[in-house]
Amino acid sequence: MTPAKTTQTLDPVTFEVLKNAFINIVDQMAEQIFRTCYSFVIYSRDFSSALCDPQGNTVMQGSGDIAAHVGTLHYTAQAVINNFPGDIHPGDVFVVNDVYQGGTHFNDTRIVRPIFYKDELLGFAQANGHWADVGGAVPGSFNVSALDHMAEGLRITPTRVWSQGRYLEDVGRLIASNTRAPADIIGDMQAQSQATHIAELEIQRLVEKYGIDTIKTAFREVQDYVETLTRQRISKLPDGVWETEDYIDVDPAAGEGLVPIRIKMTIKGDQVHYDLSKSHPKSISTFLNSCFGGSFAAIVAGTKMQFPDIPLNSGFYRVVTVDLGPKGSVVNASWPTPVAGFCSGPFEKIMNSIFELWAEILPERAMACTFNLEYLLIGGRDARYEERPYFMWYDWMVGGWGARNGRDGWAASGPVFGVQLGTQPFEGQERLSPVVTTEHELRIDSGGPGKSRGGMGVEKGGTLTLAERSVVSYCCDRERSVTWGLWGGLPSIPHGVWLNPGKENERYLGSLFSSVPIMAGDTITRPSAGGGGLGDPLERDLDAVCEDVADGYVSIARARKDYGVVVKTVDADLALYEVDVNASHAERARIRSARLGWLSEDAESVADRYRAGTLDMLDLIRQYGVIVDWGSGELLKKTTEQFRAMLMRRTVPYWTEVAGSLRDAPTLQVA
Amino acid sequence: MTVTALEEKTQKTPEGPAPAYRVACDVGGTFTDICILDDRTGRMHVAKVATTPDPIEGVLQGIAAGGVALKDMVLFSHGTTLATNALITRKFPPAVMVTTQGFRDVIEIRRGTRNDLWDTYAEMAGPYIRRRDRLTINERVDYAGKILAGIDEAEARALAAVIRKRKVATVAVCFVNAFANPANEERMRDILMEELPGVAVSLSSEILPEIFEHERFSTTVANAVLAPVVGSYGKGLAERMRAGGYDEDVLLLHSGGGVMTAKTAEKFAARLAASGIAAGAIASRHVAQLAGYENSIGLDMGGTSTDVSLCDRGNLRITKDWHVEYGYPICFPSIEVLTIGAGGGSLAWMDDAGSLRNGPQSAGSNPGPACYDRGGKNPTNCDANVVLGRLGGKLAGGSVKLDRTLAEEAIRKGVAEPLGLSLTEAASAVIKVANANMADAVRLISIRRGYDPRDFALVAFGGAGPLHGAALAKDLSIPTVLIPPNPGVTSALGCLLVDIKHDVTTMFLGNAAEVDPAIVEKTFQSLEAEGRERLENEGVPEDRMLFQRFIDMRYLGQWRSLAVPVSAPVASLDEAIAIFHEEHGREHNYSQTDAPVEVYRLTVSATGLTPKAEFAKYELKKTTPVPVGHRDVVFDESPDPLLTPIFNRDELPAGTVIPGPAVIDQLDSTTIVPPGVTAEVDAWLTIIMKIPLAG
Repeated sequence: MTPAKTTQTLDPVTFEVLKNAFINIVDQMAEQIFRTCYSFVIYSRDFSSALCDPQGNTVMQGSGDIAAHVGTLHYTAQAVINNFPGDIHPGDVFVVNDVYQGGTHFNDTRIVRPIFYKDELLGFAQANGHWADVGGAVPGSFNVSALDHMAEGLRITPTRVWSQGRYLEDVGRLIASNTRAPADIIGDMQAQSQATHIAELEIQRLVEKYGIDTIKTAFREVQDYVETLTRQRISKLPDGVWETEDYIDVDPAAGEGLVPIRIKMTIKGDQVHYDLSKSHPKSISTFLNSCFGGSFAAIVAGTKMQFPDIPLNSGFYRVVTVDLGPKGSVVNASWPTPVAGFCSGPFEKIMNSIFELWAEILPERAMACTFNLEYLLIGGRDARYEERPYFMWYDWMVGGWGARNGRDGWAASGPVFGVQLGTQPFEGQERLSPVVTTEHELRIDSGGPGKSRGGMGVEKGGTLTLAERSVVSYCCDRERSVTWGLWGGLPSIPHGVWLNPGKENERYLGSLFSSVPIMAGDTITRPSAGGGGLGDPLERDLDAVCEDVADGYVSIARARKDYGVVVKTVDADLALYEVDVNASHAERARIRSARLGWLSEDAESVADRYRAGTLDMLDLIRQYGVIVDWGSGELLKKTTEQFRAMLMRRTVPYWTEVAGSLRDAPTLQVA
Repeated sequence: MTVTALEEKTQKTPEGPAPAYRVACDVGGTFTDICILDDRTGRMHVAKVATTPDPIEGVLQGIAAGGVALKDMVLFSHGTTLATNALITRKFPPAVMVTTQGFRDVIEIRRGTRNDLWDTYAEMAGPYIRRRDRLTINERVDYAGKILAGIDEAEARALAAVIRKRKVATVAVCFVNAFANPANEERMRDILMEELPGVAVSLSSEILPEIFEHERFSTTVANAVLAPVVGSYGKGLAERMRAGGYDEDVLLLHSGGGVMTAKTAEKFAARLAASGIAAGAIASRHVAQLAGYENSIGLDMGGTSTDVSLCDRGNLRITKDWHVEYGYPICFPSIEVLTIGAGGGSLAWMDDAGSLRNGPQSAGSNPGPACYDRGGKNPTNCDANVVLGRLGGKLAGGSVKLDRTLAEEAIRKGVAEPLGLSLTEAASAVIKVANANMADAVRLISIRRGYDPRDFALVAFGGAGPLHGAALAKDLSIPTVLIPPNPGVTSALGCLLVDIKHDVTTMFLGNAAEVDPAIVEKTFQSLEAEGRERLENEGVPEDRMLFQRFIDMRYLGQWRSLAVPVSAPVASLDEAIAIFHEEHGREHNYSQTDAPVEVYRLTVSATGLTPKAEFAKYELKKTTPVPVGHRDVVFDESPDPLLTPIFNRDELPAGTVIPGPAVIDQLDSTTIVPPGVTAEVDAWLTIIMKIPLAG
């Protein structure tokens, strides 16, 4: 194809060299933060870096940044500019985490340093990292039951911490003293500030080499470049309007029932626009809400994943626009709504919806739903030591990604929130907390069945040893709005925490709860979901199912129920299995004739059979589309209706026996 | 071995010195390079042959091509990509992993991260041992080493019976917290060895006795799958060598920059995983040191990629963060080498927004650059160099012809026309972008780590390094460029220069201000005892053993640590703490002298010194060399082509001074001397270019 003619004024070499230099600078910042941070959350790569122009527009964003931060760093740079008009000087450094001025949640604290050459402001360097604690009512500052942001943690509106090179110790101390680990906070502030200093020095070096005007031009033209590149790609796609919806499990204040997030995407010419204004109009009573920064981050990250090679900066945001609708909604929360859980709530739903919408436009990159970001926190006193210090077993899991066109989903990977958010080594956790890990293993049958199977989820748990005065909290979602399949694929498994599984005092705690007391000897465990399946599971290759059985990804029982494949053991010692082909064909025919009927069976009677033990959890979800309280077995009537409607929309029309009558089956391509 | 025997052999010279050669060999994917040092004269010569399907064959052919009889060799040292390739291609015999119940998938879950953050269709290879081959046993040790559940003998033997049925040659035993107490792993090993004689067993507590399950398990699993590969190769090579009359040890270069005997390599097979990469870095340091530079940056530029390494005050940077495939770390200390996708064959291309890009895609050797006339149509760096006249009409002494017309056509169509540039401008734009990418890589490994390039010499080697070295140095403000005598086979030279080396580590956690130095001293002594045992097993006499101690430290609360050298005996940690603050300040731009420092790990580096080779030093002669020809060459410094003299490097004795502009050709490379730069040949036949720096 012919490259676009742009209005570029820099010669091609200077332009390419400076563009790469800017990428190099933000990546140098990332490297610096990674090597020197104190927060184990930052160490798990929950951070981002950016270079901004004097108006705050992002010139370059780190190539290794966490997805949930993209599309927000220009807002915080602008917040600093707006709060300090005419009062920004060389050597100043600002700190900001305000969610109502474009932040994501309070833990994501941004350090913003103006970059000067001599006395001229050239732009800003920004280092953003998830501090392990920013105060508030609970350790880690994720307060599930917060009524307003005051209960979540310290809100830092743009605040100067270094003034013309001098560290303002009183300000730093005030911030650090409102957190649970003041020394770590000072350390992280220092590490982030140094990272921005590196960027400033590098920009100054470039100015000396290329001249100030060239650098200023490059800041502008690198944004134009990304804009041009993105428009080029979009203009090649068909115009049209696509809509879908996904759900948060529940608004506890409104009773049982899924909370919809609706997205309408319009492609017109070389522009993509997302309209979220028809989403649930009220913020919900948990902290699974999102302010504009977090919602826009999901839009940008989801769209960027369709164009993985395009670098990110404000040029991208000129092409990708959004209408979040009226203030006060679940996706456009206003002051003082708590939003720390945006990452488990709206962010996840928006991103997965975007994947679904784009699957229609770029079927060769289709992907079903991915597991939900989750984390579990056990806090208490560590009785291994006489002083009984506080301990925090702050744990998050990797899980399965959605199945893809012609390929199974990724197993055990970081969330869509940021795939580089890895697990922590449990041998390290065992040193730091009186919790013995009981298991960290792939969960059998967790991948959503489909012609392509969803990636495998993981099971992880722990038993408290010498712990006192301990409580457990959990932030997740999708115990009811279960990770869904696409194009005929089936859902994976629900998220949710179990206390003392298999014992007399077994209890189901759900997917969102706060400060449940637990004692030494108690065991806590939970899965991360697998990815949803893609394509009709009855069309999955027989041998592929058999291979999955040999590796223990799929059980013999579910191979039959989900895939209609009858697998026989030849020699378990050698992991040798074989398919009974005739029996499998018969089983597939039986399922084909029955499965549509299962979805309209009386939900109450299905729930009865669950309570009686004749049906299990995966039967309910994958065969009957029935959602119950997984602990008590009580039917969730409205939720089930919504869940079945979702299956009728996403899955059923693509089954071979109904396809054609309802809609054309898509062509599954091998990508 | 035999270091002593080596000396006898070289010193007993009743009637004129008997032939005595040190031979080093670097087996790469395409070529096997041989570097031969005549111990009698200190003179070096090289040979290059094609790598053969059975690499041992190529090694022997190479030695023969170098004109050396096996019986006349006094030392044979060997760097190889065998282990790296086995991991990349997954060609190794089946293996079984035995692990703690509940933790079967540690190596498949990994840390859960992926290297491509945005491409949902990017694939990642699975772990080296499939899930069906990972067996579990009920056992558990806690964080402090207390056994919560011991090995049940009957269960272990039943497991061994399953493994026997599977007929595997190698087993990895990876138990949770085994670094804190290896008893369960050792019991398991004993039972496996009783039940399955001849099967290789890799224990995580022995291979990498460090905290963090995935890193330890992953390293152990890599070791287990490589054990049969490396073991049979080492054995086969040693036998063929012995049959030919070489009766010393076969030494293998490991990732950390030392050598080990073939016998040890079988046990620590994964230490060879970066063997080939380490060789280039070692050679680069050597070349720089001979020329008097303790600080150097190695730039090894080949056809598809460039390896960058850094040597600070004589020490190569070491990393424990290394992998062949992302997600499966091999945590043995390895020489830090940054590899980027920029080489002679890297493609220049235009992206959708009309911007000029370079690499990482490469034309490779087939079809190769357009000028090779093997069907390649897309412009490469090599084509741009031909258009600019920096490369002439042939490579490798004429075995590859370069077609200028084809190069021009590729540059014109691919770059000049879309950008509206003249042919020369376009070719020079291609090279500038390629150089800028390489300069960024050098910045990442130098400036980023607190090193100032102005304090370094750039050693440019590999087939394409000498073409780009001077321009890069200029861009980076590096004042000196060194071109080794045989740029294309420099890596093999690296294999000649190494000592036997083992790193023995243990976790040691505590506040640096509070730990008892006596306990630190005791721990170091036991690490030294283990290092001594390993060296003794390799036949190193006591007087050739050297032990260096390192304490890994970090600020309390930090995650990454820095290794700080300490002297023996340890009476206090004060000096180590002071060095830590200083190093942290250099590497990370800040230090916090009032913050508490944590000790994290103790390491003893046990070295068995091999007698150093004496390289011939040539007498400097001021001569005026005669060019073998002239051609028009375009330099960055001049918009118009300059009629430039071409020299043959073989005709340039020590002491030669050539003012730029000039082109120096040799069999395996071409050196560009830009206008304003002067090239001098030093006493070791290295070309030294002084780069005039702006400002």
